[in-house]
Amino acid sequence: MGFRLTMIGAAICIFIFYFALLASLLFSTTLKGFWESLVHPSTLFSIRLSLIAATIATLFAVVIGLPSAYALSRFQFRGKRIVDTFLEIPIIMSPIALGASFLVFFNTPMGDMIQRKGIFFVFEFPGIILAQFATIAGLATRLMKASLDEISPRYEAVARSLGSSSWQAFYRVTLPLSFRGLLAAVILSWAKAAGEFGATVTLAGAMPGKTETMPIAIFTALASANIEKAIVLILILVFLGLVALYAVRFTGKIYRYD
Amino acid sequence: MIKIEGLTIFLGSFRLKDFRIEIAEGEFHFLLGPTGSGKTLILESIIGLHKPKKGKIWIGEKEIQPLPPERREISYVPQDLALFPHLSVNENILYGIRTKNHSLKTYEEYVGSLIQVMKVGHLLKRYPANLSGGEKKRVALLRALAPKPKLLLLDEPLSGLDPSIKFEIQQLLKTLHTSFHPTVLCVSHDFEEAYLLGDKMTIFIDGNVEQVGKRDDVFLRPRTKNVAQFLGLKNLYRGKVLAKEDMDQRWILGINGLRISVPGSPCQGQMETGKEVDLFVRPEEVMILREGKPIKESLKENILQGKILDITDRGRHHIVFFQDNRDEVLFEISIPNYAYRNLDLSIGKNVKVALRDESFWVME
Repeated sequence: MGFRLTMIGAAICIFIFYFALLASLLFSTTLKGFWESLVHPSTLFSIRLSLIAATIATLFAVVIGLPSAYALSRFQFRGKRIVDTFLEIPIIMSPIALGASFLVFFNTPMGDMIQRKGIFFVFEFPGIILAQFATIAGLATRLMKASLDEISPRYEAVARSLGSSSWQAFYRVTLPLSFRGLLAAVILSWAKAAGEFGATVTLAGAMPGKTETMPIAIFTALASANIEKAIVLILILVFLGLVALYAVRFTGKIYRYD
Repeated sequence: MIKIEGLTIFLGSFRLKDFRIEIAEGEFHFLLGPTGSGKTLILESIIGLHKPKKGKIWIGEKEIQPLPPERREISYVPQDLALFPHLSVNENILYGIRTKNHSLKTYEEYVGSLIQVMKVGHLLKRYPANLSGGEKKRVALLRALAPKPKLLLLDEPLSGLDPSIKFEIQQLLKTLHTSFHPTVLCVSHDFEEAYLLGDKMTIFIDGNVEQVGKRDDVFLRPRTKNVAQFLGLKNLYRGKVLAKEDMDQRWILGINGLRISVPGSPCQGQMETGKEVDLFVRPEEVMILREGKPIKESLKENILQGKILDITDRGRHHIVFFQDNRDEVLFEISIPNYAYRNLDLSIGKNVKVALRDESFWVME
């Protein structure tokens, strides 16, 4: 077989592999069953909970991640390498390990105090946000750093020589220039947060009508042999993911400046 | 007057100690040095992007070293220009005036005349991505000049341009300077650039200021061998002062066994017997003598007999590579085309050459 054909063949195989997987979902449900499961209050609750939690978690990740990304991209400081390495922690740590670590932490005197005097996280809604935030903060920072790296620091240098303070130079020059990349980072982080399972279920539990996000609902639906509901939730997750991916592609296609 | 004193930078393996420079108001000053000599780091220190270990910078009476970049009133055109891609040409140009909250009205006339001189009036609504290389340069220069900076810093403004655009920008910089008299410090590694544009230049090699002076001073009278080498001068020889000819105020230099008699005037510093010096022989001042013609008295001091090793045609002139027979010292001789045609030279031919007194320059 020719070289080109082999390579393209492999690419097509991967596509068929995933496509068949998704197609099998469609064939295992009926339109009526699909609709009934979709409008069921518990399904709608999971969808809403996931969307809200992922959005808040992403917001926090941006608030802390964007300045961190900027610092890592532009400044030299002591311990920079270590900070950079620790961004990978959620990637090398299994999500369930991350969630378990939180449970352990909230059992320490300090964690206990935070829960008693501040917010309750364990088996509560804030726990979902915390688990999702922990999973995506490193990734969000890493992705935003990558898009800031692409913008030459020279733009800011010139802006400053023209009278902008460092804050002004950031929001008038660097921010608009890296906006597309930052937006893509946010969308991907959000999608990852929405799909998070391991850390969330460990920290916040799987309580229907309280902490049951979409991925957790899929798990419980399967456990109770409610295949129809599981399929609905999977398809919605896939749909959200595809929309997010498409949005990322789309942000890359806006050539505003030329 | 811009004054920098005692600028000291340690960064990685780069060491700069006590760098100083003075630029008069309205002067076009070149900071010249080979690539990688740390010139950009000096620029960044002046702008305030790099915090030097030590050093003071004055603009007039005001010391600006403690100020952040945005309060120094120093504009900067980097080598890559860094035009803001998300802003139109017009917005790029007005950036500095707007951030400084200056009223646009008071600048209208000035910016208008800048736009006219720079010929960018028809580009104002475009974005940088749609400009040609030369247009980008012009917009970047305009953006830097618009807020009337106290000092304009240019980083290699002519490098990486097509020859035709290079010429255009060179002319433009000249016009700009004669019409608006900005104080400019321009960093470059290209002496030719500096020669065409600069009033004054500072030659900066290996972290040291080797020479400061008017361009002709530097070009015709390089102070050190480093400067001469940087200028790309040919026929540089290390030699020793062998003797003094008191009667004529001349010195005898020994170059690889070759004895050359040099008048006192082109000798710099204290000359004494036994001292090591660098001799530079200007290629355009060496004469190839025509066979059979009587030799003028003034040329008789240094006549060499030798062979032509090679000849290259440089368009406007020819370079003849000549080696003297006895001591095998090699000279490059530059001959205008009309003289070359009269001389009937060829590779391998034996000729006599006169090193005229005007051809010598001796450095400590």
